[in-house]
Amino acid sequence: MVDVLIRMKLAIIRNSMTGGRAALMITGGVLGLLAAATTVWLSLVNPSGPGVVPDLLATTYVVWLLGWVVGPVWGASSVLRVEHFALLPMPRRQLAIGLLGAAFVGVTTAVTALAFLSLVVYGIRQGVLPALVSVPAAALQLVLVVLLSRASHSVFGLIARGRLGSAFTGLLLAAFLVLTQSGWIVVVVIAYSEVLSTGFPSGYSAVVRAIPSGWGVAAVESARHGQWWRAVGMLAAMVALSGLLLLGWSRTLGSLRHGRTTIRGSSHAPAATSPVLAGRTAAVVRKELRTWWRDPARTQILAIVLGWALGTALLPLTLGWTAVLPWAGPGMALMAATVACNLYAPDGTALWLTLQTGTEHEDLRGRQWAYLLVFGSLTVAVTVGFTLWSGYTWAWPWVLALVPALLGGGVGLALYTSVVALAPGPDAHKRPDNPLEHGETPWQSQVLFWVGLLPAVPAVMTVVFGTVYDNAALLWAGGPVGLATGVFLGWWLGRVAIGRLRAKGPEMLYQMRTGRAAKTVAVAAPKVDVPKAKLSRRESLVAGLSWILGPLCLIPQGVIPVVILLAGAEQKVWFLALYMPDPLRWPVAILMVLLGCFLLHQAIRLTVKSSRPAWPGK
Amino acid sequence: MVNGSEAMPDSIRKATGSHQSAQEDGPPALLLAGLTKIFGGNPAVDRVDLTVPAGSFFGLVGPNGAGKTTALSMAVGLLRPDAGSSSVFGVDMWSDPERAKALIGVLPDSLALPERLTGRELLTFLGQLRGLDPAAITERTRELLDVMDLEHAERTLVVDYSTGMRKKIGLATALLHAPRLLVLDEPFEAVDPVSAMALKAILARFVADGGSVVLSSHVMALVEQLCDTVAIMVKGKVVAAGPLDEVRGRGSLEETFVRLAGDDVRATEGLSWLTS
Repeated sequence: MVDVLIRMKLAIIRNSMTGGRAALMITGGVLGLLAAATTVWLSLVNPSGPGVVPDLLATTYVVWLLGWVVGPVWGASSVLRVEHFALLPMPRRQLAIGLLGAAFVGVTTAVTALAFLSLVVYGIRQGVLPALVSVPAAALQLVLVVLLSRASHSVFGLIARGRLGSAFTGLLLAAFLVLTQSGWIVVVVIAYSEVLSTGFPSGYSAVVRAIPSGWGVAAVESARHGQWWRAVGMLAAMVALSGLLLLGWSRTLGSLRHGRTTIRGSSHAPAATSPVLAGRTAAVVRKELRTWWRDPARTQILAIVLGWALGTALLPLTLGWTAVLPWAGPGMALMAATVACNLYAPDGTALWLTLQTGTEHEDLRGRQWAYLLVFGSLTVAVTVGFTLWSGYTWAWPWVLALVPALLGGGVGLALYTSVVALAPGPDAHKRPDNPLEHGETPWQSQVLFWVGLLPAVPAVMTVVFGTVYDNAALLWAGGPVGLATGVFLGWWLGRVAIGRLRAKGPEMLYQMRTGRAAKTVAVAAPKVDVPKAKLSRRESLVAGLSWILGPLCLIPQGVIPVVILLAGAEQKVWFLALYMPDPLRWPVAILMVLLGCFLLHQAIRLTVKSSRPAWPGK
Repeated sequence: MVNGSEAMPDSIRKATGSHQSAQEDGPPALLLAGLTKIFGGNPAVDRVDLTVPAGSFFGLVGPNGAGKTTALSMAVGLLRPDAGSSSVFGVDMWSDPERAKALIGVLPDSLALPERLTGRELLTFLGQLRGLDPAAITERTRELLDVMDLEHAERTLVVDYSTGMRKKIGLATALLHAPRLLVLDEPFEAVDPVSAMALKAILARFVADGGSVVLSSHVMALVEQLCDTVAIMVKGKVVAAGPLDEVRGRGSLEETFVRLAGDDVRATEGLSWLTS
């Protein structure tokens, strides 16, 4: 059973592999390997404090566990779907064991297994008996996280059927994002505090060992202290929890097609008659606003954007730091474009109605207005509220410049990306078991987060000059400049997207229908569009890797270290250049900037190539 | 349940009645010429020529994978052909799409709709996109929901509709703007017999009042009962087309179909393990 499912999984992955997916898989694998190597390294260090290594390990295992639990909520659909096996006359538990076995085949599991080797390394350093305990402990730990991940997938699928549950999963994702991006603060705090030499507080040690991810560490420690009953008890507890999870998970596999939470529509509303509300664009806006209100998938988008912006601004308050508060609004505008960058895919093949009525222009503009009404009103409210709360009057020119530029740029970029880089997912009525299933957009989001900052550049430069030259007129001119940039970009990118929608509507529809990109083969008709140049598998792999690594090299590994070097600060965090010996710091930072520029140039060149006609001039 | 000719909404009956005179010598309701689509090197639709006379009730039949949906998608402008053309009442679908699309009502097979609207909201939305008068939208929507027996689902979103209800609301969207030609892909699939009866009556009345209908189906009896003109598609090609009586000759349409669809009758051999 297990080997059949593994072969099936590998066949599906092989058949759906594209250059872009391969690039993502490789990038993910490399980042995972780095994380695993760091975890193993933690088991080899020799800090002076008592019990620091097991505490550090237990802490890291909590992070791995969180990653496994949250991962399935972020991801789209699993490769092997339970529905595939719904009609097989097979006990649910057997199916669960089979699916579990197949779940072990994957980059993520391999990387995690490598990371959990750190427990064995730690055990070996403690002696023969702890080493003997550490091997089953590490294996059980791996089984436990994979099972917890499967179980959480089922649980989240269950809760997400209604809007409240979707909002909850969205907030959970936002919290995970905030914690990940703020993780380096925790690292800095640990590194600079006395913890490494005095040991963690005992309460902290107890908590990280009480979480199932810490039971393995506790078992190895008990073996070292000769507390045999405790070591065996810990291992037995891990087995018992795994059994319980397997049992619970296999129960959820049995009950397919749970009722979705029914969301009700309006009743007997007549058609609007006033000229403003009866137009085509107004009709689309009304349809979109209803969808934003009723669709759990959109509730999740809203929750992620709101949760991320508020979380990022509010978390520093725990350190008494209020300087981030005014930036919650601009952050929200930026994150909206990053998350809502695939707005056509959730409606799927309903695009045929737009094509049939020839309302591509009204459809796109209507979606833009709805986006502005939803995210714009939230952004403005949060900006005004939080800036007033912070009491920083100097922040006003900045936020007034940033908000319109980021919102306008965002509404342009989000819709442009939705059309140009469509990532189709299953149609709404074909995903009754999990309304949150969607097309995967990791590239789009990664690119948009950085590109989404660009619309603010002119306005920010105006404010910067105003500040540097102490010129009040320039300082306050940022707002109008931002507004002008925002309005122009929203209008212009929308116009480009409309042109694309008109020219490529049938191809987009085909892509949503089949999940594959459409190819129009020009047989004889000169009217037929010239096909686009296809990138080879290697080229699209290079393009994908360049889009991911380019911005990473340029900004966080290039520009930021340069700024830190200029400022003469000492924080190394994860900046490669700062770990170098002194004479190499500047060259490495500059090399990173150059490498980032080169990779971005490659990425843009290949992307432009893929959207040009194969035979120019024909 | 409303039945017979009363089932036809007044507004639609009026609209369709007005173009009866056009059907005599005017251009055909739908003209496909050399339509071709190639998927992965295999022609799904291979140089299809088809003429649907104005005022006819046209049935397109063929086995699974014959290319019916692909051909109809290209005919109505939802899939770009690799070669060939499609025109509606003489208006080319791909060079003058706006005028051509205004003339037709389409029911595609298993495509999504704006799923988070109710039936009434959906029809109102579409009426506004089509630029209809608000009073006409409200009135036609009411009548269509009544005819399709969807009024009991007033506050149900389309995403929660059953397969049959989806078909019916899809048909309502195709009828709403009183088109001159209806192109329906498998309109009776999953529709219960009572609703099917009402739908048949609507379509028959639509054609009697001068409208034209093209429908694709697997159900030969239904095509024989409704259509006056048929075409049989096999493996991307039209193998027979013309008035129903000419195509089926002395036998039934089913017999003709099985004869033309060829070697697909394998029921008598193989699968011996099934009965042993």
